[in-house]
Amino acid sequence: MNKPSLQAEEWVVKYGDLLYNYTLQRVSDKGLAEDIVQETFLSAWKSRETYKSDASEKTWLFAICKNKIIDHYRKKSSSPVQYAEVDTTDHFFDEAEHWTKEAQPNEWGINYQQPVETKEFYSILAYCKKKMQDMQRNVFVMKYMEDLSAEEICKVLNISSSNYWVIIHRAKLHLRKCLELNWINS
Amino acid sequence: MNLLNISCKKATYLVSKKEQGKIRLFDRITLQIHLGICGVCKRFEQQTDFIIKNTKHTHSEEKLSEEVKERIKEVLDSSY
Repeated sequence: MNKPSLQAEEWVVKYGDLLYNYTLQRVSDKGLAEDIVQETFLSAWKSRETYKSDASEKTWLFAICKNKIIDHYRKKSSSPVQYAEVDTTDHFFDEAEHWTKEAQPNEWGINYQQPVETKEFYSILAYCKKKMQDMQRNVFVMKYMEDLSAEEICKVLNISSSNYWVIIHRAKLHLRKCLELNWINS
Repeated sequence: MNLLNISCKKATYLVSKKEQGKIRLFDRITLQIHLGICGVCKRFEQQTDFIIKNTKHTHSEEKLSEEVKERIKEVLDSSY
């Protein structure tokens, strides 16, 4: 049998970058993403006995990684500094709650049905996600990248359902605006 | 009449509820009315749906640095 650590080293070589990319898309911070990847390998290594070969090694590692990311969100929201949502979107609407001129969606001149495949789009999307407030990004990622339900997200982040809808709304307002500014208008 | 008349802020809020299948019938009706007359909010819906559809496919090619890879290997080695 191989020296056990060889297997772990092989994992790092084979899956390190993949897991890192996956994590970075979800936490938008390089140092943090590195730590999460390290924890993923460490947990996998410690629980390697429980690994069943009916799932591929890759699927198994990604499942562990996903849990680590959600744990990170959970820890963050239960930290003593309580989350207070500041309305950063009040300039999007006027007193009558209609769009302000600066914030209203303009025509993008693209086919919305057609998937984008340009690198440019994805790097701007990553930039815009990074610029979002942590809570908005976390909710957005859990919903649209991890496919968690609204109920699950509220539980993980310890927020109310109405909080959840407000955060989703603001996340979309910011992300849409940022993409329009940096992708469409550039 | 006023009851059926909602603001753009409210309409865009309801767009997410609709998109996630969590909208009440009454809200669905007022939203449809609003989107029928407000091209800007309709655009918001189209564009945010577009973003959601494209958010899963990421083309990122960042790499872990060799130092970090070495660090992780060391941690794994020492935990054995």
